[in-house]
Amino acid sequence: MGILKAENLEKTYRIGKLDVPALRGVSLEVEAGEFVAVMGPSGCGKSTMLHLLGGLLTPTKGRIVIDGEDLTAASDARRTDIRRRKIGFVFQRFNLFPTLTADGNLRLAERIHSNGAGNPERRREILRLLRLEDKMHHKPLELSGGEQQRVALARAVITQPALVLADEPTGNLDSENSAIVLNMFQELNRRFNQTIIMITHNPEAAAACGRVIQMRDGHIVAS
Amino acid sequence: MKIFDSLVTSNIRQRPLRSAISVVGVALGVALVMLFTGLTRGMSNDLQRRSTNVRGQIIFTRKGSMNVVASSANLSTKYVERLRQIEGVETATPVIRHVYASGSLGFDQIEGVDWPEFARMNDLQMTGGRGPVANDEVVIDQVKAARHHPVGSTLKIFGDKMYKVVGIYSPESGARAKLPLASLQETLEATDKCTYILIKTKESANPLEVARRIDQELPGNNVQFTRDVFASVESSIPSLGIFLRVLVALAAVVSALVVMLAMHTTITERTREIGILKAMGASRAYIVGEIEREALLISAMGLVVGFAVAFGAGFVIHKSTSLIFEYGWTWALVAAAIGLIGGAIGALYPAVRAANLDPVNALAYE
Repeated sequence: MGILKAENLEKTYRIGKLDVPALRGVSLEVEAGEFVAVMGPSGCGKSTMLHLLGGLLTPTKGRIVIDGEDLTAASDARRTDIRRRKIGFVFQRFNLFPTLTADGNLRLAERIHSNGAGNPERRREILRLLRLEDKMHHKPLELSGGEQQRVALARAVITQPALVLADEPTGNLDSENSAIVLNMFQELNRRFNQTIIMITHNPEAAAACGRVIQMRDGHIVAS
Repeated sequence: MKIFDSLVTSNIRQRPLRSAISVVGVALGVALVMLFTGLTRGMSNDLQRRSTNVRGQIIFTRKGSMNVVASSANLSTKYVERLRQIEGVETATPVIRHVYASGSLGFDQIEGVDWPEFARMNDLQMTGGRGPVANDEVVIDQVKAARHHPVGSTLKIFGDKMYKVVGIYSPESGARAKLPLASLQETLEATDKCTYILIKTKESANPLEVARRIDQELPGNNVQFTRDVFASVESSIPSLGIFLRVLVALAAVVSALVVMLAMHTTITERTREIGILKAMGASRAYIVGEIEREALLISAMGLVVGFAVAFGAGFVIHKSTSLIFEYGWTWALVAAAIGLIGGAIGALYPAVRAANLDPVNALAYE
């Protein structure tokens, strides 16, 4: 079943008096449970596509449907609501709240998602899977990069999103921690049938995915 | 504890200086409102309490010889006999009311009276010692006596001139310290003069008619009822009500501005975090709510500090001066509302600005 359908997506940025096209007609379908890597040189439109798929940006043209809901036809408030219910983000720089403990970061996600009514069983399972049980009372600065990214990954999936969008999640990690984090993405994908789209420059990371999309100059050139 | 692991509380703890400045800003407004209104109310109630114990119903003065903060002795005591002969007057007694600078703050007043007559007219009883006889003797009420002035102690009233406390009377009535009339006349070089003559009417007489009669027989003077002369401080100073309202408005503006500035700074510092919240699906209302909750928590802490400062400062000022503070629930609620509403309104603009941030730009913010 298609969890994501993007049709003929275009995105043009207006910089001063210049129109700068970032995406020039991208179409993409992702099935539930797929683990997709997006590769391509810097400036090819990968991050723009990820932001469009996550509803953080609106396309200049085209249509995005996530889990049956049309993101492009939605108002800003509706897009935020779809993002809250259906999408989890993982960033290169982890983007954890530094003033909160790991547990506080997860609880914040649960609060935003469902007013704090989390699923304790899923929470336990994810913490076990990501080997975070004993890290919950630490603040981000007390954790290693790999641990921080695992907390960020837990935060993204704890609310059972239909789709996880990861923007170079291993970009700030050494090879050992990259391997651990990638392994955990794979585990989540396998264990929970979690759909993941991951931007990466790393061929080894792409190799861990079930499908690789190549982008260049705002187009998908290989899928 | 979970409550300390929320964005609101962790942000407050993470930026202690910014939080402390905001708390102090709100506290300042609250304390100002409480202290000023407490002082006004305290002084007004004190004056009213003391004036209700003055049994003479009518006050006879020269025009312009007496107000709340000053008085002069320019009325001849010869009027006393003439007043006593007017129909309906039971008794009349001369009083010098002298206002003088007291300590480093405020002013105080003393009365020169013909003690036996004055005490009889106003039902004053000695609870200790005796009435003043010699020119260097003074009697005081129980409230003043409670401030380390027992019988036998001395009081400094005019420069270095010392007066011996020879008696304590009750209930409190008019000025808290009373000298023999002759003593004050001598000190003020006002022989045969007084500030006003206090008149008690016969029980069978109508005070209004007696007052009319006095005015007819001794025209050109002021004939007033005691209750009007010792009116509340608020009505004696016509602009006080406006002053209090302006003070309250200023306190609200100070609270709002301090919180706005603090929240504006914190929003700029946390732009990236707001981008993360947006990426996580936090709605505009959620973001506004988080910032407002933080502002309200800061304001609530400001309230607690403000009330504590007001009560503490009021106590210290009362102990070191004769100023009286009486706090009322109404003004306490107004001060609380100012702190909370001021804080909430101050945070509104930064909160809305945060809620409207572009998520992609916010995430890229360094």
